[in-house]
Amino acid sequence: MKLVEGMSEDVTIVEAYGRLDSTTAKEFGDRLISLVQSGRGAIVVDLKNIDYISSAGFRALLITKRATTEKQAKLALCGVTGEVKRLFEIGAFTDEFLICPTQADGVGKLRQ
Amino acid sequence: MANGPSVPSLPESSACSEVRIANTMSELARVAELVDAFGADHKLPNSVIVALNVSLDEILNNIISYGYDDTGRHDIVVRLELRRENVQVVVEDDGRPFNPLEVAPPNLRDKSREGGVGLHFVRSLTDDLKYARRDGINQLRLMKRLTE
Repeated sequence: MKLVEGMSEDVTIVEAYGRLDSTTAKEFGDRLISLVQSGRGAIVVDLKNIDYISSAGFRALLITKRATTEKQAKLALCGVTGEVKRLFEIGAFTDEFLICPTQADGVGKLRQ
Repeated sequence: MANGPSVPSLPESSACSEVRIANTMSELARVAELVDAFGADHKLPNSVIVALNVSLDEILNNIISYGYDDTGRHDIVVRLELRRENVQVVVEDDGRPFNPLEVAPPNLRDKSREGGVGLHFVRSLTDDLKYARRDGINQLRLMKRLTE
């Protein structure tokens, strides 16, 4: 798993690559939480290049969402397609997150 | 380790791949690599590779996190067998008896849910699950069809 971070104006964009599973979820979650704790008010996580997400990865996403809510920050996910989309549906996670088709859509939504 | 899971003689199958890992989370990367290589070698559909990877992550995470009464090193064997119309996955561990088929399905509407989702993924992503306990070894056998 690899994370590539960028900014689009005041929105932080995190592109994740590879597997989001028991071995990588902690690093993924820790990095997102530290971004939230450091005061980033709007974060888009792009999952387009993620191969799959297991329950450990979903737990990290849920913990991140909880942290953003506590900090009154905003979180959007994008690139939820194919097998990853199917896993969101199987786990009934689709309604737990703001999911946008693309990074640009996510940035636009969070800047509203 | 003296009394690890045995590796029984292999049933007839057109291809077989196996890895023996220790009971630590970092070892799971080796299993994912085995599944990816197995999938590439046999040109398996991506949906099958994902189903096997997620299922094995859930099962092995459970075993490593909750399966042992001691803190010692234990071996876990993962074997992939390609049949004509499906892939069979066998996981063997010498942890305490645990039959995942007896775990109740989670309430997916409960937003505070923490557990149970992993096995829900396994059940949803595989076509058959069988559990056996023999000579102190848990054996879980998953079947995944190659076509929907």
